[in-house]
Amino acid sequence: LILTGVQIDDSGLLPLIAVASVNELQAEVLRAMAGNQAIYPTGGQTMLNYGLSPSRPGWAVDLCGLNRVIDYPARDMTITVQAGITVARLQQILAKENQRLPVDVPLAERATLGGALATNMSGPRRYGFGTWRDYVIGISVVNDQGEEVKAGGRVVKNVAGYDLCKLYVGSLGTLGIITQVTLKVRPRPEKQTLVELQCPLDKLDWLLESLNGAPIRPCSISALNPPAARQVLGPGFPSSVEDGSKPITDWLILVGFEDNKEAVAGQMARLQQIAGMESMLQRQWQDGESQSIWTGLADFPLASGEPLTFKANLLPRATAAFCRQAAGMPEVESLQAEAGNGIVVGHVAPGLTLDRAGAMLTTLLETAAAADGNLVLLRCPPHWKSKLRVWGRPRRDFGLMRAIKEKLDPRAIFNPGRFVDGI
Amino acid sequence: MPTAAAPTIVDRLRSIVGPQGILTSASDLLVYECDGYTIAKNRPDVVVFPTSTDQVVDIVRACNEADVPFLPRGAGTSLAGGCLPVGGGVMIALTRMKRILEVSTRDRYAVVEAGVVNLWLSNHLRPLGYQYVPDPSSQGACTIGGNVATNSGGPHTLKYGVTVNHILGLELVLPDGRVVQTGGPAEDNPGYDLTGVIVGSEGTFGIATKAWVRIVRLPEAYRTLLGVFETVDDATNTISDIIGAGIIPGALEMLDQLILQAVEAAFHFGFPVDAGAVLIMEVDGLEAGLDQDAERIAAIARKNRAREVRQAKSDAERLLLWKCRKQAFGAVGRLAPSYCTQDGVVPRTQLPHILREIQRIGSKYQVRIANVFHAGDGNIHPILLFDERDADQVKRVLQASHEILEECLRAGGSVTGEHGIGVEKIDFMPRMFTPEDLAMMLRLRAAFNPDNRCSPAKMFPTAGACIEPSKAGRRAAL
Repeated sequence: LILTGVQIDDSGLLPLIAVASVNELQAEVLRAMAGNQAIYPTGGQTMLNYGLSPSRPGWAVDLCGLNRVIDYPARDMTITVQAGITVARLQQILAKENQRLPVDVPLAERATLGGALATNMSGPRRYGFGTWRDYVIGISVVNDQGEEVKAGGRVVKNVAGYDLCKLYVGSLGTLGIITQVTLKVRPRPEKQTLVELQCPLDKLDWLLESLNGAPIRPCSISALNPPAARQVLGPGFPSSVEDGSKPITDWLILVGFEDNKEAVAGQMARLQQIAGMESMLQRQWQDGESQSIWTGLADFPLASGEPLTFKANLLPRATAAFCRQAAGMPEVESLQAEAGNGIVVGHVAPGLTLDRAGAMLTTLLETAAAADGNLVLLRCPPHWKSKLRVWGRPRRDFGLMRAIKEKLDPRAIFNPGRFVDGI
Repeated sequence: MPTAAAPTIVDRLRSIVGPQGILTSASDLLVYECDGYTIAKNRPDVVVFPTSTDQVVDIVRACNEADVPFLPRGAGTSLAGGCLPVGGGVMIALTRMKRILEVSTRDRYAVVEAGVVNLWLSNHLRPLGYQYVPDPSSQGACTIGGNVATNSGGPHTLKYGVTVNHILGLELVLPDGRVVQTGGPAEDNPGYDLTGVIVGSEGTFGIATKAWVRIVRLPEAYRTLLGVFETVDDATNTISDIIGAGIIPGALEMLDQLILQAVEAAFHFGFPVDAGAVLIMEVDGLEAGLDQDAERIAAIARKNRAREVRQAKSDAERLLLWKCRKQAFGAVGRLAPSYCTQDGVVPRTQLPHILREIQRIGSKYQVRIANVFHAGDGNIHPILLFDERDADQVKRVLQASHEILEECLRAGGSVTGEHGIGVEKIDFMPRMFTPEDLAMMLRLRAAFNPDNRCSPAKMFPTAGACIEPSKAGRRAAL
């Protein structure tokens, strides 16, 4: 079934073929093999333009039709589903058994599980609960021969064979097309609280370090500059009444706690006892009233119409300095850091020139690299992609990456040209 | 294939590691003919003890030039023959690469050499208020490099995950002598998660020489409960109910009657030796909230007819309880001259079923089987007792082991949760995976280890291998 077409960067309109079964997907791969064409897998199309531009002719395959729940033995706390299910629907199914996946995915109503795994997107709760690699225990993919192959299994502990689950997560669809996934799930916490702190930028380093050493176990530590805070909390930020004479420059820190009631209450009490922090404490949101804020934090990387969005990863200790540097650049609009993990996402305002973008990104990349990190672009104008470092600085193990791509997809059928260094 | 003991390569190896870093005499090599899986034995031609990555590189290059197979070895605690030098060759023992290079509590990682003993790292971190979580029972001996190779588990994996969840990056000497660093201390490096796939590759992708590991805050407090049950069924139902109630304990371990008797004789903890089974149930974390979790767990145990639920009253009592658990395998020596520890996994809810099956299989083959295992993960460790001087007993133990693992597969599980495939379970790989699945794994191996010179004849059935491992292993015991 040809739906319509889809455009990835400046690819022109690629035919978009929806598959309703694994067999149909296998047939598409065989057809691509025979015709020496490429396949560009798509899900909810929330990150369609992520990465470099397609390098080979071919067509897109829409996987949203592969959305069945295969098995949900809730008491074993695992679930096996097809990869085209949306993350939001998966969470709804789990919620009926008072369970969840504690991985935040932007635009979860649209994003598919397969897409979330391929892009390895995660959000604020990664500080407390980890990322996709910690939850995928079994995976099936259609490989370059059109075969459906699997790795892992359906039990939470299993070391039989190579753990190809790890390889497919975050491979941007370049090694095969994920069809089915078995996940470890977690109980929903009894209590959720989000705490707001306001902090001048020059105190951010102190605050983050204090939170790191404090006798608390938050599940998220997000730091937002004022525009990002308005984006996530709405125009009501900040909570304090302003006289309108001085600009709002404080950063907003949202600290999340999820546990049983007593453990969350105990941590709230301790937070208030940390010297120097009590004056920064502002509002708190409990349980249901915190949901839209968690969602706002999770959606932030994709929730902007700005033309360019970067994501830096670096050592957590360098987060505040990076934020200070980025906030000092006039083009940078909103900034959100998952500060416990050293992840910073920034949206850049329109009006940017290619030269200026290049200079700005080079500076920020150098800062991230000095803190053992890197900087990639989640989004940028397609015609800039050949000029900017979309995937940041080269990796040290690049030769090995290419060797793996060549062994598992020698004909470059899957999403060619788009991943790190044009893999 | 030329033998590794040919003078040229031995001389070259000696010049790399020095005379103190090499073993070549038959009596010295005897120690290295097997690991914790004593049923299969084969002597390496030479063992070298490098002290640096550069030396490992030179050794690997020398092996390549001489066309000799090689394999890494940590402390040799593998229970699946992961360190068995099938076909001989050069064994690269990493135990002298044992430095803890860096610790950052601010960024929550440590950098260690491969030969660092698991427990040393945790001892080093404790004064800082941190720990390296994966703690296999052999943690006093096993190395981080070995843990990386087998993706080791331990009692605390239910809440905290296994080794792979705690490895951020690796330095790997590839089988051709190139050195790569995968991952590193910062998260989310763009590109394939090579670290994740190297962990658990059982030494077949190269030789890990350095690891960036995640460190986590020590729990502020523990509540450790001992539940005493008349029957194994009551104990396993308790496990299911605790997890079902949304509590993720730090550990959830089961000991059955036979192992209880051995442990009690060894450590005099005060275990009721007439109980059908006991559960060690531990919650950990911040002080606030722990009592509530402990009370809920105790109530669940009582609902499942626990005869008694005790709580460790002091840190000393808690540590003694854990000592009993971790050294249970040692105590088994009181029950029989030899034993074989199996490692299988079933979905948690299948635990009552698999334990009944183990009992049935034990009776069928007239083999006594003790059980002590990570119940929360569904990871069973039946211990089959025998006397290795009696060929008929050995045969029955192997048949019973096989049947238990078959039953794990039928229940939707796996033949190994943490020990690995090694040479022991190669026969099961085609049972768990299709030829197409296995072909993908071999293609992946070819990207790292195209000549299969590093750790040959491991994990995968190979046509025309020098020996057919499991059968040869069985003969070795007879």
